[in-house]
Amino acid sequence: MNFIFEGIILFALELFAYIAIYLIVNEGLNIQLGVTGITQFGLVFYVSGGAFTAGYLATRLGVWIFHINTGGLDFISGNIILTTEVNSMTKAQPLNGFALLIIVIIAAAIVGALLGIISSVPAINLRSDYLGITLLAFGEILNVFGTAYTPLIGGPPGVIVPDVWAWAGGSRFVASTLTLMVLAAIAYVFIEYVIRTPLGRTFRAIRDNEVAAQSLGKNLPRCRLEAIVIGAVLASIGGALFVLYAGSVTPSFTRYTWTFLPWLMLLLGGIGSNVGTLVGTATWFTIYDLILYYKFYLQNVLPFDVVWLNYLLLGIIVMLILIFRPQGLIPEKPLRATSAAKSSKQ
Amino acid sequence: MPFIAPFTIAETLIYASLLSLMGVGITLLYKTTKVPNFAHASFVTLGGYVNFSLISAFHWSPYLGLPVAFVVVGGESLLLFFLVLEPLRKRKSSVALLMIATLSWHIAMLGFLGAYADSLQTFLRVPTRNVVLSYLDFTLGGLPGIFFVSITVTVVAAVALYFVIERTNIGIALRACMENQNLAASVGINTTRMLGLAWFLAAGLAGVAGALLPMWTQLNTSSGDTLIAAMFCVSILGGLETLYGAFAGGLILAFAQIVGTTMLANVVGVWVTGYEPVVPLLLMAIVLMTNPKGIGGMKVWKRFK
Repeated sequence: MNFIFEGIILFALELFAYIAIYLIVNEGLNIQLGVTGITQFGLVFYVSGGAFTAGYLATRLGVWIFHINTGGLDFISGNIILTTEVNSMTKAQPLNGFALLIIVIIAAAIVGALLGIISSVPAINLRSDYLGITLLAFGEILNVFGTAYTPLIGGPPGVIVPDVWAWAGGSRFVASTLTLMVLAAIAYVFIEYVIRTPLGRTFRAIRDNEVAAQSLGKNLPRCRLEAIVIGAVLASIGGALFVLYAGSVTPSFTRYTWTFLPWLMLLLGGIGSNVGTLVGTATWFTIYDLILYYKFYLQNVLPFDVVWLNYLLLGIIVMLILIFRPQGLIPEKPLRATSAAKSSKQ
Repeated sequence: MPFIAPFTIAETLIYASLLSLMGVGITLLYKTTKVPNFAHASFVTLGGYVNFSLISAFHWSPYLGLPVAFVVVGGESLLLFFLVLEPLRKRKSSVALLMIATLSWHIAMLGFLGAYADSLQTFLRVPTRNVVLSYLDFTLGGLPGIFFVSITVTVVAAVALYFVIERTNIGIALRACMENQNLAASVGINTTRMLGLAWFLAAGLAGVAGALLPMWTQLNTSSGDTLIAAMFCVSILGGLETLYGAFAGGLILAFAQIVGTTMLANVVGVWVTGYEPVVPLLLMAIVLMTNPKGIGGMKVWKRFK
């Protein structure tokens, strides 16, 4: 009985961890796509950027911070030995783990911002369709580098990364899930805040009517760049957290998992609506786990791998949402006026 | 002096033909429906698996399946157009939503094709991943048959497309739809049917290119995915507004990707070949930054008119 209970707890912890990671990434997509109206089909670019940053830096940083003697070991071939050394340090002190986590997040944010600027260079002045094509094409470029340039993350086999929650011992998953949920809450509040600032209002003005926004003196390329960078930073942090949570990284970040699924969750919740992003992410993961649960019953009946049913179902779900409920579960509402705006009216 | 083998040139021309067949469809669909079609990847993969099924199940000759692939993939695109895109277009959905609709169709097809390939493997007991069928090919003058077939198919497709669009009444109606759909509808052209025709033609050509794919390289359920960036690059190189530009775009990209990488590998080292997939992206970025209308949109051509 205890065994089953523990299983449920672990299951719930993993579910919440994934919801938290995806919520951070989805908030990044929401500020770009939902709020500013950028046809972002290359979200995976930033996610893999953050993930590879974590994969490249985490062990190196750990060795550097904790003054571990590498003994001439290479970071790729000696990956497992060095990572174990770093783990022994994060195990000794929660502070060590948190320091590593925060530095990796900051590094991922910087890389994300750079990638945001890079990806916007060819695309910033383009119409939405050209923009979408360019971003889609650029999406998986980092996988090419991750595969071909082995010093980055060891090529196709990938590398393992230090466990920054090693200090929690047996309750590692409790600690990691709680940390991720706190970070996701910060990301959520941050985007909610951005939407309410003058910058956020400008973003929405650009989305709703480019010409009108331009006629009011808004610099379109600059605002788009800002939205792309904010979103890219969040997506990149999400990617880094995904790697730290999973404990390893390989150059296999696909358009399906990190562009299409965030789009699906946003469409489900309601594009542009911040509450919708949260609801969409949570709803999708619940549905997905139900599918996962029933899939195993089908495995013996069907002549093919049930993983294909995922693709089939999710593709169809998105098309049905688009046709029958394009506004999503919780449509975007006009923002409530802030107290400052109210008092100026009186 | 870097040495380029004649074999490399042949490879390049095969690749250029296949890319052109795929890219021209993207341009045609963009011009008619105003949507960059991400589902083109699934058209290519489906075409490949239709041909492969005919070969492995009924032992057809490899080139006999091309018309079947054309029709089946054309049919698939009609489903996409009439079931998904038409309802969205009627509601005047934004381009972004149309694009995500084609992407989700592609994801659904990815699932369908994966399930289909698995089932084929279960029932026929043949491997359905990393399919290579070049052993079925004939050789002529030391060159593989696919070299002649792919070039012939592409030239025939280009000429046929030109005649249909420039010389027939249907083509005039189609061109009217590309120029101004409301105006075309007001003179009695059934624009929906015309757009359906464009989808059928574009997808059919992509299906034929896909059917030729296992004769030249490996066929996988992800073949279309790996090529999608190259397809869009071809279309943008040629100019998204210029139909026949895609043929030039295919040639340029194929030369840049195969000959260019081979020459570069001779000079700086073999490690460069790992970065080959970056070539279409770089070309695309350069074209978009310097001349977003592509080759077909350059002012030089106006002098010849």
